[in-house]
Amino acid sequence: MRRKPTLFAASALAAALLTPAAQAGNGGFAPIAPESPNAHSIHQSYLFISIFTAAIFVMVETLLIVFVFRYRRRRRPRFEEGAPIHGATNLELLWTAFPVVVLFLIASFIFIKLPGIVDVPSAGVKGQLEIKVTGRQFYWQFEYPNGVVSIDTMRAPAGVPVYLQVTSPPNDVIHSWWIPALGGKIDAIPGRLNHTWFQVAKTGTYKGQCAELCGLEHANMLASVQVMRAGAFDSWLFAEKTAQVQGTSTLGKQEWAGVCAKCHGLAGEGGIAKAIAGSSLLTDPRAIESIIRNGTTTPQGTMPPVASGWSQEQVDALTRYLKEHPPSGS
Amino acid sequence: MAAETRADAVPAWQRGGVASWLVTTDHKRIGILYLWTALVFFGLAGIMALIFRTQLAKPDSTILSPQHYNELVTIHGTTMIFLVVVPLLSGLANYLVPLMIGARDVAFPRLNALSYWLYLLGGLVLMLSFFAKGGAAQAGWTSYPPLSETTTGHGQDLWILSLHILSASSLAGAINFLVTIHNLRAPGMSWARIPLFIWSIEIFAWMLVIILPVFSAALTMLLLDRGVSFAGWNVQTHFFNPASGGAPLLWQHAFWFFGHPEVYVLILPAFGIISEVLPVYARKPIFGYKAVALSTVAIGFFSMLVWAHHMFAVGLPTSLQAFFMISSMVIAVPTGIKIFNWLATLWRGNITFDTAMLFACGFLGVFVVGGLSGIYLAAFPVDWQVHDTYFVVAHFHYVIFGGSVLAIFSGLFYWWPKMFGRTLDEKLGKWQFWVVLIGFNLTFFPQHLLGLEGMPRRVYTYANQSWEGYNMASTIGAYVTGIGLLFFVWNVIKTARSGPRVGNDPWLANTLEWYTTSPPPPHNFDEVPYVTSARPLYDLRQRLRETERARVGD
Repeated sequence: MRRKPTLFAASALAAALLTPAAQAGNGGFAPIAPESPNAHSIHQSYLFISIFTAAIFVMVETLLIVFVFRYRRRRRPRFEEGAPIHGATNLELLWTAFPVVVLFLIASFIFIKLPGIVDVPSAGVKGQLEIKVTGRQFYWQFEYPNGVVSIDTMRAPAGVPVYLQVTSPPNDVIHSWWIPALGGKIDAIPGRLNHTWFQVAKTGTYKGQCAELCGLEHANMLASVQVMRAGAFDSWLFAEKTAQVQGTSTLGKQEWAGVCAKCHGLAGEGGIAKAIAGSSLLTDPRAIESIIRNGTTTPQGTMPPVASGWSQEQVDALTRYLKEHPPSGS
Repeated sequence: MAAETRADAVPAWQRGGVASWLVTTDHKRIGILYLWTALVFFGLAGIMALIFRTQLAKPDSTILSPQHYNELVTIHGTTMIFLVVVPLLSGLANYLVPLMIGARDVAFPRLNALSYWLYLLGGLVLMLSFFAKGGAAQAGWTSYPPLSETTTGHGQDLWILSLHILSASSLAGAINFLVTIHNLRAPGMSWARIPLFIWSIEIFAWMLVIILPVFSAALTMLLLDRGVSFAGWNVQTHFFNPASGGAPLLWQHAFWFFGHPEVYVLILPAFGIISEVLPVYARKPIFGYKAVALSTVAIGFFSMLVWAHHMFAVGLPTSLQAFFMISSMVIAVPTGIKIFNWLATLWRGNITFDTAMLFACGFLGVFVVGGLSGIYLAAFPVDWQVHDTYFVVAHFHYVIFGGSVLAIFSGLFYWWPKMFGRTLDEKLGKWQFWVVLIGFNLTFFPQHLLGLEGMPRRVYTYANQSWEGYNMASTIGAYVTGIGLLFFVWNVIKTARSGPRVGNDPWLANTLEWYTTSPPPPHNFDEVPYVTSARPLYDLRQRLRETERARVGD
């Protein structure tokens, strides 16, 4: 009778642990399925470590439960002394050596996998693409070799090693670039240039988001990588260059959604920053340019210089978009 | 007549009005002040957690604004570490260190009082910063610049002020513990005979003495970077400001040189509590006293060499990352020694499952999860995946809640009779244990999976619908944990009114604090026995038994 509440509590605990695990979409206990060789090697390292952690977990919990049941008092007097054992040097040396061996194996595995994670594969026949990734409050800016710019959505060719240079402007804060399926994260730090890479075989969209607290809209600093067939990517990049020079690209729309709308709302209805729909400034390109390049301080708050360092093409894309699509407020 | 009896039962040092508590320099009273204050902050920081867990239960919630969310997570973290766990441990240590080593008080009683009052002041500054212009600090408990330098308003400045005050408090307390342990031990109590809890406080104090000055220096640099105006002088430095050539990573190095050992500051005394509780309820000596004591020293030493494992994603050279991976893994060895020695302490024991023992065994079962998840974080390429996600949040809550807090409750149930002369209610205690254990695991286990699925920490909302299940489970778990902790509040009130009174040594324990009355007189001991082993009270009982046997033989 007395053991029933304990048994009940123990089974409730097991249920509490297993229910969420059972409903997991991706096999539960492993990271998101890797789609790039470096992410794949990290995934294997994760699984290799899990062999040992699972074994040690089962061993420790089993010993604990067995000892708890086997050596509980039952009918013995409460203060009867247990076995007067003060230690056992050989046994203790054994369980000092055991973790050393386990950790040696884990570290060795990591060092074996390391080159496949950090070294960018040689370019090969298809060449290598280099993209500059700039993290800013609260958007990602991507610059391609031919000067094309995109915001928050990166396009990349399938099958080609893509080398990323990751940074943040000196007047910004630290962000962290992370697309879980494409490898580990790397911080975008003002004044430092970091790098990482990926190479994806499958076309598709891979999502991620900023992983270092960067301010109020950190949670909405999303990023995605759209992997296209290499040929389709090349033609897109070429066409986009022309479009951006001629001012016919979607860059202005991307900038509105990625740079302005996270604080002011997609329809300019306001968010953490004030509502700007209907403001006469929006249709005045010079006023807009001055505000977004230099920032401004009003009694209602401070507008940061979100567009400092932008090219004239980038600024024009936004002012043109605002003129053609003034935010409606709803 | 009845009133007189009650007055007799309460010793002189516990009598007296509020004023007597304000001016007290008695380590027992100061310890109790620490405990009550820390428990109040525990409640406040717990309520903060419930508020933001409510926000996160579903995607796209709008219960909290981003600013309020960031304020709450920042102050929740800072409060739990600096105002709850460290002071709970300091409170226990304050009460117990002199008693366990057979001393009358700490070495510097007035400095001890100063430590407490500075702690209270620092805590009030932090709590009141919510009402500052621009709200409380919002850059997380790690307060990385440049973010922590760009926020306007005074929240961040008050955060710095509060931590400066708390550092001074902890530093004075640590020096006091060190001088006390080194100089005031009972006759015969050599270093190989001091209780394991005292070993853990010795290392805890040494670590604080080494790391706090570094932290204070970094805080001062952050303050000056934010700009200080005083009597017509304007000081504006650029230590961490990249726009003027400063190095934001310098803060991270200094912060984590403090911050990682700080984690062991939180856990080592918890280890010490477990090493005291297990032998008493298993009726066995600790398995491998020397190994357990030495592993405490080893953990303290190595914890100073691992800080950059918090910085694997900042782009350090690979050789440096490899060094910090190996040094972090090395810590697993002494930690493993402890776990195996504790398990071996249970082996062939005569185990009674009072609440203190339940919490100690719960600690063993849960802490091991936090230890094992740490291996993933030490392996730097794997850390690049899980760093700054909910996996890390789960990891350190398994260590700090599943480890430190469960151990502290074990210690409170164990030492409560000594401190207040009454035992806490066992039935309520067992309810508390099981409800907290289930709630805790339900809160934090799913967070491992959220992190693996890509949810970063410190986001005020999320759009990904597939994260909802785990988040909802986590939020429900948080409320269950909260309910579990209310059992403790109920228990404390009930015990104060009608808890059964106990004698000097209700558990037939091993250490000197049980030699004196419960609660002890102002001077702690009328006389202190000569200590001949790490278990002086066990020795006394043996000697008594032999004397009796000899008398019967006559």
